[in-house]
Amino acid sequence: MIFNNTKATNTDASGAILQVKDLHYVYDEMNVALKGINVSIYPGERIAVVGSNGAGKSTFFLNINGVLTPEQGEIRFHDIPVTKKTLKQLRKNIGIVFQYADNQIVASTVKAEVSFGPMNLKLPREVVQAKVKTAMEYMNISEFGDRPPHYLSGGEKKRVAIADIIAMEPEVIIFDEPTAALDPVNASMLEEVLSRLSEEGKTLLISTHDVDFTYRWAERVLVFCDGQIIADGTPLEIFRNQEVVERANLQRPMMLDVYEGLVSAGVLPDDQAYPKVPSELQAYLNNR
Amino acid sequence: MIFRGRHHAHTHTQDHHGHSHSHRHRFGHSHDTGGFSIDYYAVNSGIRHWDPRFKAAFSMLLLLCCLLGNHPLISLISVVTAAVITVGMGRLAVDRYISVLTIPLAFIIMGSLAVGINFSRQPLGDWNLFLHWGYMYVTRESLMEMLFLMLKVLGAVSAMFIMTLSTPSFELFSVLKKMHCPTLLVELMHMIYRFIFILTEVQRNMRVAAESRLGFCDFRTSCYSFGQIASNLFVVSLRKANAFYDAMEARCYEGEFVFLEEDSVVPAKMILTAAVYFAALFLLWWFLR
Repeated sequence: MIFNNTKATNTDASGAILQVKDLHYVYDEMNVALKGINVSIYPGERIAVVGSNGAGKSTFFLNINGVLTPEQGEIRFHDIPVTKKTLKQLRKNIGIVFQYADNQIVASTVKAEVSFGPMNLKLPREVVQAKVKTAMEYMNISEFGDRPPHYLSGGEKKRVAIADIIAMEPEVIIFDEPTAALDPVNASMLEEVLSRLSEEGKTLLISTHDVDFTYRWAERVLVFCDGQIIADGTPLEIFRNQEVVERANLQRPMMLDVYEGLVSAGVLPDDQAYPKVPSELQAYLNNR
Repeated sequence: MIFRGRHHAHTHTQDHHGHSHSHRHRFGHSHDTGGFSIDYYAVNSGIRHWDPRFKAAFSMLLLLCCLLGNHPLISLISVVTAAVITVGMGRLAVDRYISVLTIPLAFIIMGSLAVGINFSRQPLGDWNLFLHWGYMYVTRESLMEMLFLMLKVLGAVSAMFIMTLSTPSFELFSVLKKMHCPTLLVELMHMIYRFIFILTEVQRNMRVAAESRLGFCDFRTSCYSFGQIASNLFVVSLRKANAFYDAMEARCYEGEFVFLEEDSVVPAKMILTAAVYFAALFLLWWFLR
């Protein structure tokens, strides 16, 4: 690992929701998907997971949700090792919104679909009903309640897929490439939902190829490359590290290039302002 | 039959009313007769909110009356009742109702002809036709019998359509589950129902992609492309099934589908109306006997 941020190197990981130690996962002899992952995830973090296709992001997600069983290594949930007995607790509290809503939606009406998770948790009927209602209102899909999901549009299906997970009220929500295949309107709606969830104290992990999104949204970035986490730090640390950017085939965020270009051209002083969105740059320029 | 109407399922995501006949159909088959259309009609039916158990029971009872009553008048009443419920209350357009009814028409006609027409070495019956080896003939009675049989089958079929055109498949599955049909069967139905939509979409995409590369330009190529698509579809379906299962496990699936279901109560008024209706039908049958 090239560097760590202070939180992740903290050996006293008592506050961590999830600790992953030396996680290995093998699909078959030829395909080693994960080669020794070490990471801790803390409450309320906004984490972007980046890296090229096949770097092991999705496999990592399925491992920390307990769907895949690691070859080697340990996962601790609230400092308790995950075993067969505590697996359900892990699955309940780590929710995954899968990349393709079609692969996730099982039921034949939206309401039944959203209820699938809470029902599997064997909650009382009234509780399930309340959770389903809240989740559907949260994602603004209440009006589709009785419709079959396969007659919905792509963006609506995605909202259903997110409501599925919200209804289970997990501590950590993982989004596997959520903006893929969404139009700009739906993508910005998704970003709003992400901000809202984050404000409500949920821990979010999002895998994405969108570096501009990563730069403006995340507070921590995990860089996957060839089954390993090669860097773990703030977006600024990651994207200013040329070695990491090149090894993981990342691109630099546009705002970072613009700002550094302005600084090196002498237009702006080198005061480490690093605006993340155009409006921040605008405000920065106005204040000078 | 299921595959013919597949375009509709995917092109009509939003609109309830604009179910036009114009688009995405080649070679002018203008009927919307396919499994998917039926499901689509059911989802958007005006009587979708009726309790599925009530609709299923009513359909079955009417079907039984029609078959056991065995009288043309009762058959006719079944046909009319079904039409009133499906078109009148369910708000299904008349032309679509008729086009759905034509699906089993071929079977009805073929089956009934066998009853109406007889063969003999001698010229018999009211009308006959010499066919080299013998005579094909019909009598007045056999013709009437044929017509009554057609009416009876039509009545039975339209009784079934009350249920089919107003109750989406998955609601029927839940009725089956409540009737203690084996869980395994019901869950398989659920999965198959979901997968039909997923796989036909994949199949359609592959077909379009093949077509855009001249994959269907002549018979030989078409056969080849069809084979390729079929084998690909198998691989894709396996992969999809895996992804599907992972996603279900991620949401704590433990081997049984459990969904939240509304416990609806059938209004007493509806039960009473149905009871009166069937009583009247029974009385009619009693007098006609």
